[in-house]
Formats: sequence, structure tokens, C-alpha cells
Amino acid sequence: MAVLSWKHHTLIQSLLERGPLTEKEFHSIFTAITGQNSGTHQGKFNDYLLKINRELSYVQLDLRACRDPYDGEVYYGVVNNVSDEQSKFGTKYSVPQIAFFKAIVEAIAQDVTAEGCICNMDVLNIRLENQVLNSSGSQSQDGSLGIPAAFRNFTMSQKERTLDQLVKDKWLCYTEDDNIGVGVRSVLDLRGWFNNAGVPSCEVCNEAGLKAKLCPSEGCTVRIHQYCLKKIFSQKGVIVCPSCDTQWEYQPPKAEPVELEDEETEPMQSQPSSRPAQSQSSLRSKRKRQRVSQNDDSNTQADTKRVTRSSAHLR
Amino acid sequence: MAIPGGDFSQFDISKEEKDKLVAEVIRYILFKTHQNSGCPIKREELSQLVTKNYRHRSLPAYIINQAKEKLSSIFGYELRELQRSRPSSTNQTRLSQQSGVDAKSYVIISQLPAEVYKKYVEDVNTSHMTGFTFVVISIVQLAGGKIASDNLWHHLKRMGLHETNENHPVLGNVKQALEMLVQQRYLQKDKVSGPEGATLFYELAERALEGTVSERIKQYITQIVKKDSTTEDIS
Repeated sequence: MAVLSWKHHTLIQSLLERGPLTEKEFHSIFTAITGQNSGTHQGKFNDYLLKINRELSYVQLDLRACRDPYDGEVYYGVVNNVSDEQSKFGTKYSVPQIAFFKAIVEAIAQDVTAEGCICNMDVLNIRLENQVLNSSGSQSQDGSLGIPAAFRNFTMSQKERTLDQLVKDKWLCYTEDDNIGVGVRSVLDLRGWFNNAGVPSCEVCNEAGLKAKLCPSEGCTVRIHQYCLKKIFSQKGVIVCPSCDTQWEYQPPKAEPVELEDEETEPMQSQPSSRPAQSQSSLRSKRKRQRVSQNDDSNTQADTKRVTRSSAHLR
Repeated sequence: MAIPGGDFSQFDISKEEKDKLVAEVIRYILFKTHQNSGCPIKREELSQLVTKNYRHRSLPAYIINQAKEKLSSIFGYELRELQRSRPSSTNQTRLSQQSGVDAKSYVIISQLPAEVYKKYVEDVNTSHMTGFTFVVISIVQLAGGKIASDNLWHHLKRMGLHETNENHPVLGNVKQALEMLVQQRYLQKDKVSGPEGATLFYELAERALEGTVSERIKQYITQIVKKDSTTEDIS
């Protein structure tokens, strides 16, 4: 009853061993082992993913795609869907480290300007005690909460080291201006968490709009990702707010190299919508530990493809 | 659907329960392997996942077998069983207990052909450990399967790996890297009391003694020795 062949296994194992891969990398593996270009044989590629996901669902895992919020690049990864006793083992990070990570992600998610990042200084000044306060949800006085010593004694150098490791493992990333942003793993894994945390979704693709453009008109809460804007602009030549009808001024990003051929690849291979993603305590759902990706491109965050800085405000 | 190993109806659990158990075991194996960087997982830990809620005596064995099959069919991973056949001298006192208990442990190994694995799956960021593992096992094997700690470090020193080096550019803390091999059950430590006091020995452990591994190491060593006809002795 062999449903999956060694080819499917290779795709799965490559993601497990190497961590999230860019679309380019993943497609090239697919092409190399099946001899078929995933661009021209989109159907076959999708077929493969569908088959893989059907099998992976047996263990509540998912092979899905996401977009890096900073450069719009598509990544593939294997993600855990359910937070249970077993997935709690799936991490090498300690409890204070996880609390630290959570604090960072929360700070980024709560940014109303949708910059999608926080500055290095703020990160290092995070106090883990607040994490305990938040999770217990009560408003007791200081000092009576039994904050674990590990939280209190989490030193600056430990924070720096943890930050480094988190970036290496792609849970966080360094953005252009030396700020800290969410990494690809977080985007893949924390989708459910972002929704629950109330991060407004992008109007176009409905994914969390962590780093997005806000509607210029006051009081309008619409957000759209830069790469989604690009898509609309290239299709319609103009951007109109879906909610308040204001026209957005759109500047195509400078230094655009080769036009991306497959613009239409919104991840259709994502899980079928019948299964909600519920990865709450997501860090514990991390799969095989990854260090720096071997393909340097994904690590330099594709500088040339990076869209214009958010300083080019929409007027 | 043919279920080798018997029909699970004898265990008085539904198919959904059975599937759930198998999935739990697989997930445990995958997550644990990540957490402890490939150190073997004891069979006891897997059995516990089953016996936690179900009393039937042979259910754990059945579930583990099913998990083995699924790991292979879904992921292409083999759940390899390691037998702790040679307890080290430090475990001598516990030997009598061990004969009754499963001293089995498991690791997952990719079933992909070597070239495929190397090209598409292997993470180059961890190959330094693989290289180190190979070198150390080869040294111990050439020494007859057991080597005194001093002797081992003498050889490693020739490659620039010092016991006290905590900042090796590739391996970091070299001593810890060696410890990792012990934890992953490639080596085991042995304290042998001799005339001068206790000496620390490193011995090949189940993961290095396992058939295919052992054979291939011998092959590779032969290859290297054959190629390297111009070796000089560095004194």
C-alpha cells in the first residue's frame, strides 16, 4: 500500500533536515528528482503536495507555504498542527528562552504601525517578568507572583545569545535597518497564534498583516501586504481601498531585477481549509533544528528584491 | 487493509484509538529526536505512551510496530532498533535487572539512497559532526574496538582537536562534541581499574557496532588507506 514513493520522502525529509526552504530551492529539488519543471507542471507539483499532506495528516503535520513578510518570498516548510504532550518535546529552547521569544513576537504583533519589527534595544530590554504577569492574567501586586528565578536572572548576554540562536533557527530575522522581525518559521508555524492575538489580516491574501501598508485614510483599518499591493497594481494599475474607497498611491519598488514569473503562486498547496491550524504554543512545535540555510540567498533576505522601505509613505 | 502482526480487534480498542496511539508514538519519536539531537529513544518511553491509558500487555509492541511501518511509509524513515548488548563495567551491578527489561532503544534513519540523501536532504550545517563521528569511530575501530582515552586524544590532537579546546572554529567545545558521541550511543565510556589506578576507555557502542554501519566504516577506511599511498608519519 505504498502511497508515497522515495521522491515524496525526499521532499519531506529535505524540509525536516534543512528547515524551511525557499520556493526556488524546493522547486529545484522537485525538478531534480522528478525530472519535471514545477513551473510547467504545476499540476504535478500540487499533486505531490496533496498526496504528501494526506499522509502527513495522520500525524497532524502539514507541508505548507508562506510568504516572508519582508520580501514576499515564498517558503515551504513542514509544520505541526496540534500542540500536545509530544510536541512539547520538540524544542531545544529553555522555558525562559521561550518566554523571551514570545515577548518579542507579541511586541511585533501589537505594533499598530504594521512595521513588523521592533528595534534591537527594545528586545534587549524586554523583562520576562511581564510574561508571567500576562500568562497568569491576574493583577496581583508585584513580587507576590512567584516569578521563577530563571526569568529574573535572564541576563543581557543570555538574551543576546538567545536572539542569535532564534535568528539562526529562523524564528526571528534581522531586518534591513538592524531591527528584529519575525522569521520564516514563525510565519509558517504561528499563523493560528497571530489570528488569535488579533493581528489584522491583509485584505488581499487574508494572512496576518504583520508588516503591511496601512490605508492612508484616517480611521480606516485596512492593511495590505506590500507584495499583495504589487500584485493588484500589476493587474489593475491602481489601488483602491476595499473598505473606504480611497485611492492609495503606489510606488513600484526600486531596483526591480527579473520579473517574478509565477506571480500567481499564492500557496494553493496550503492545507485544505477544512482543518483549522491550532498551533498555540508554537515554539514547541519546532521540527528538526536548523542552522543557517545552505542557500545563501534566503539568508541575505534577497536584498535586491526587497520592496521599498516603509518610509516611502503612501500619501 | 491487511494489518500484519494481527488484527487489532484483539486489543479491544477502536481503529481511531489505535491510529491516535500510533500517531502519538510517531510524534514523540520525531520531536524527541529533534530535542536530543539524535540520541536513541528508549523502548520503555514508547511503551509508556501506550500503557499510560491502556492495559493490554502486548499492545505496546503492536503499536510500536505500526509506528515503524508508518514512519517508513509516510516519511521514509527506518525505526532502527539498537540492542544494548554490551553493558559497560559501570553497569555491572545492574546487569541482572537488565536481562528482564527491554534494553532496546531506537533511532530514526533515512531510507533514501545515499546519493539522494547527500544531494537533497543532508544539512551541510551538521556535516561537521558527521565527519567528526566518522573519524572518532574509525580510530576506535582500528584500535580494536576499544581505546584508552589518552590514546584517543593523542590521535585527535594530530588533527588539531585538543581536549581542552572550547572554541574550535567548527566543533566548538571539542570535549563536549566527544560526549555527544557517547550520548548518541556511538561510544560508551568504561573505567577500568589497573595498576596505576582507573583508566578511562572508550568503546564502540551499539550504534557503531550495528551491522551496516560497521561494515561501511571498514569499507571507507580501506578506501582512504588505499588512496593515501603517500602518508607520512608525523611524530
